[in-house]
Amino acid sequence: MTCAEIERTSAFLDGELDASAGAEAERHIETCKHCQALVAVAGEASEALRGRAARLRAPASLRARIAQNLADEAKVVRLTSLRPVRRQFWLGAASGVGASAIAAALALAVMVLPAAESLTASLVDDHVQALSSGQTIAVVSSNHHTVKPWFAGRAPLSPPVSDFAGEGFALAGGRVDWVAGGKAAVVVYRHGGHEIDLYVWPSQAVAPPRRSERRGYHVVSWRARDLTLAAVSDVQSDELDRFVRLVQTAVE
Amino acid sequence: MDNRQTEFEAMAMPHLDAAYSLARWLSRSPTDAEDIVQEAMLRAFRAFDAVRGETVRPWLMAIVRNCFRDHNAKARRHEPASETVLEHLVFDGPSPEAEALGASERRRLDRMLALLPDDYREVLLLREMEDMSYREISEAIGAPIGTVMSRLARARALLKDKWLAEDAR
Ligand SMILES: [Zn+2]
Repeated sequence: MTCAEIERTSAFLDGELDASAGAEAERHIETCKHCQALVAVAGEASEALRGRAARLRAPASLRARIAQNLADEAKVVRLTSLRPVRRQFWLGAASGVGASAIAAALALAVMVLPAAESLTASLVDDHVQALSSGQTIAVVSSNHHTVKPWFAGRAPLSPPVSDFAGEGFALAGGRVDWVAGGKAAVVVYRHGGHEIDLYVWPSQAVAPPRRSERRGYHVVSWRARDLTLAAVSDVQSDELDRFVRLVQTAVE
Repeated sequence: MDNRQTEFEAMAMPHLDAAYSLARWLSRSPTDAEDIVQEAMLRAFRAFDAVRGETVRPWLMAIVRNCFRDHNAKARRHEPASETVLEHLVFDGPSPEAEALGASERRRLDRMLALLPDDYREVLLLREMEDMSYREISEAIGAPIGTVMSRLARARALLKDKWLAEDAR
């Protein structure tokens, strides 16, 4: 047993109506028994919740555990930011810092090659699977103010999110997926009838090759600060390069 | 101590009690609430760079809500809490100040709130405990404002129906 106006009545209680809709809602409530009961019970519930919220205290043991967690996490974050990224190797090599840096960079490149290939494969497989399941987008929005905060708490990082609709690459939304055993933020763009998935995850020792191809899909990957990014799509490779340059410019 | 950590603690820790309350009402369990808040604070700390300057509290509450959802998915407890489970829920005693409702009616309302489906309960908690606007709730749960509006209305209508049905008995 209910009334067709309960949404308006409820929004009125929350102060979400403008003046004229509010006045209409008020007039309706005066004549509707259902809405009068709704207002009464909602008022009691509101008071109960507000009263309770103010009196629950987090246990001291929880507070202490959180402080310890944060301290541990702060150490991890510091270590990550100290880890040399590949670009710094090359900068060092170019400025003549030493043969050891070049040797280290080469050793790294050789060592990571097989794993890097499998990373490409897993990115493409994930992209194709998402496309075929039709579940490429968990938050649908062309507004970066909506998409960016959506990732907080869902992904372990905050990905760069911009709309390049003017340049032909429209922001479509985002989702969270798994890359190399960890969570990655995936920012989804559209270009013509194609989809471009931009995977972003915290850098690890292994990164995908700068560019690779698998099953007709192109992957372009690079690092920016302590993040690894990879654009995956079946668009033409020069179009994907153009997209990557836009993202890189936005990140810098 | 790390600078970033000090800064985070200064911004987020004042909201710890509120985060815990929300987690407790969402999960209906003191132990689950602790796990949820612990995870939420860690996630918030990791994502902290992204929110500097924005309103911390609604952002933090959205993370608590998401952690609750993940926690629930992991535990595979989609079914609403049973009345017997609720018997063991110890909410705080009646407040010292005068209240509109007596203790037994207050318990009755607690029980009804706890029995609301998750989708309805979370919007009501964010609205009433956190005083969030429809827009803020919509961002927190990743659903359109129209959905927030209809879920709130339905949550209240359900409470009303239960209340009236018990009165009629
Ligand atoms: Zn009505």
